[in-house]
Amino acid sequence: MDPTARLGPAQIGVLVPLAVATILLGGIYALISVGLTLIFGIMRVVNFAHGEFLMLGMYLAFWTFFAFNADPYFIVLVAIPLFFVVGLVVYGIVMRGVIHASHNVQIFTTVGLSTVLQNVALVAWSGDFRFVRPWHLSTVLRAGATTFNLTQVVASLIAVTLTLALVAFMKWTHAGRVMRATAQDRDAATLMGIDTDRVYRLTFAIGIAAVGAAGVLVAPLYSVYPTAGLQFVLISYVVVVLGGLGDMLGAMLGSLIVAAVEVGGSYLFGAAWKEIFYFLLFILVLVFRPAGLFGQRGAETLGV
Amino acid sequence: MPRFIFALVVAVLAVVVGGELAPVGGQATSGEYKIGVLEPITGPLAFEGKRHVLGLEIVRDLINQRGGVMGKKLVFAMADATDPTAAASEANRLITREGVKIITGTFSSRLCGAASEVAARHDVIYWESSCVDPRFNKRGLKHVYRTEIDATGFGWYNIDFIAKHLAPRLNLRPNQLKIAFLSEDSSYGQGVTESARQRAKGEFGMQEVMLEYYNWQTLNDMTPTILKMKQLNPDVVHHISFSNDGVLFWRQAKEQNFLFKALVHAGATGYGSSDFGKALGNDANGVFALLEPGPGFRLEALKPEGQQIEKAFRDAVQKETGSYPLGAHQLAGSGLWLLKLVLDKAQSDDPEKFRAAVMSLDLPVGSMINGWGVKFSELGQNANDRVQHYMLQWQNGQLVTVWPEEFTTLRAKWIPLPAWDQRK
Repeated sequence: MDPTARLGPAQIGVLVPLAVATILLGGIYALISVGLTLIFGIMRVVNFAHGEFLMLGMYLAFWTFFAFNADPYFIVLVAIPLFFVVGLVVYGIVMRGVIHASHNVQIFTTVGLSTVLQNVALVAWSGDFRFVRPWHLSTVLRAGATTFNLTQVVASLIAVTLTLALVAFMKWTHAGRVMRATAQDRDAATLMGIDTDRVYRLTFAIGIAAVGAAGVLVAPLYSVYPTAGLQFVLISYVVVVLGGLGDMLGAMLGSLIVAAVEVGGSYLFGAAWKEIFYFLLFILVLVFRPAGLFGQRGAETLGV
Repeated sequence: MPRFIFALVVAVLAVVVGGELAPVGGQATSGEYKIGVLEPITGPLAFEGKRHVLGLEIVRDLINQRGGVMGKKLVFAMADATDPTAAASEANRLITREGVKIITGTFSSRLCGAASEVAARHDVIYWESSCVDPRFNKRGLKHVYRTEIDATGFGWYNIDFIAKHLAPRLNLRPNQLKIAFLSEDSSYGQGVTESARQRAKGEFGMQEVMLEYYNWQTLNDMTPTILKMKQLNPDVVHHISFSNDGVLFWRQAKEQNFLFKALVHAGATGYGSSDFGKALGNDANGVFALLEPGPGFRLEALKPEGQQIEKAFRDAVQKETGSYPLGAHQLAGSGLWLLKLVLDKAQSDDPEKFRAAVMSLDLPVGSMINGWGVKFSELGQNANDRVQHYMLQWQNGQLVTVWPEEFTTLRAKWIPLPAWDQRK
């Protein structure tokens, strides 16, 4: 009954597919979390509507595939500018008003936004499950006994690329420096002549563009429905906290850790246990290293 | 200014959303009989709830074409049961504001318990057409009824099929079969799985090699579970899935080249939903799901009155949706038709007279929609052996009826399941 009891040398071979599953799942989590980390890190706003923007990205993939048979890998190029604009608009309408308000107000606002978006999707597109099935969906790469789903491989590669690009952007561009400065001390940044409103608008738009693109990329792997985002959003919070608020490379490592806990826990103890394990980890990190595993000490209170 | 725009957007959305969800109003006229309909029309359960509503509306029209109920035109007071809290408060509203004496609904095991408690408190009749929580009829509520069998009945039928149909075709005795139980962890999944396990082991001595539950809403990867199952090497996978978890399991089992002889599911969720076929196309071939009858169903196997209403119902659904009725249509539809049969007999919505009529109904299998019969227990539960269920199989993009064989023109294929690329 218990597979661990039988895990002799003959079964060691299963470690490789388990490791591959970890990396590919971690890639998806990283892809989804990178936008949340950015918004969280710079704006200090917990965006509870993050999952809904992911859902909108998934619907974009679905409708363009449905109407024009457009490949999600092409649509992702459309999604980035489109969701950037969506981010700007949502910031202007919803976020700008609460950016200086207390965290409670921000939480209520983003939760409200999340509910509104879910229900708009439900009214507009019904609660039906939709599927995006591009020709390459079931393409599987095989190396010996190990298999890689192509869509997952691509999602992971894009997650790495996106993360590195954002890290480079934050580190070496003027806009990035301005964003970091604003995150560290909003008032001082304002005194230095930084238009913080513009910084927040830009941050929010980039974050939403990233999650919109993530939605397009994961749409073929999962079903598309109005509450599809909920499935990932809790994990994104764990990832962001593990990685250290606003630390994008940390979020990437956090994704791999969560995926490893999930895959290992599911294999050894059963799928029902995986959440117990990664939320335990989440609580332990919050208790002992509130800045995250890789975050800078004190970062959790910055700008609050 | 931004706040003003925000407020404006919220107001507009509230009107749009609210307008969509507003319950059907209007007072009952002398010629109408109004019942409360409680289904999830918004929220995560809406995808199925809306189908139930359509099934109810179609049968309501069939009933009205046939003289209505108690000589009056049947009308609905609709309510949206998004979640258990809403189910309870909306049930309350239907009773106190709309004044209904009978409530029907709610499809989901998450909702029926809460809604029926409220009805029972007000001495209102609660008529459940599809929630399958085994605890539903065991709470001592006198005027709470269920027309569909419960989850334990599903498990009972599944093992019946595995032991009596699959085992012989696999050239195995039932006690030689290795069976893995995998299920989502709702009361539905657990009810089916536990009753199946009990019968598999107790009555047929099957070898259980695995039991695993998971939460479908947070499940993003089934690869670890599949890798584990590969090592345990079951003949039959008994998998109760809720939605995307079925698609995920099947797709990733293919990716990992996990070979087993058959997969059996029960219910209109997961593998039993049309979405499974939409997501996978012909890759879905071979999966079994215990359900209401689908294509291949032989009308001639039913009693004359059953044939008549089944045909009228099927035609009406075909006209409305362009396809064969789905489980949700069939459950809601047959539940409402059965309510009409009871009201015809009782000629009253007085709970005691209604109960006497329910208990006196005794119709054999084949008497109504889905080929069902009627015989209620004292607990208000329609009997397992009257509520005939059928094994359907995914064959080239369609769920078709394959068992019991006397009820169908089609036969189960791919036993045992061949290699993944040979299921054509």
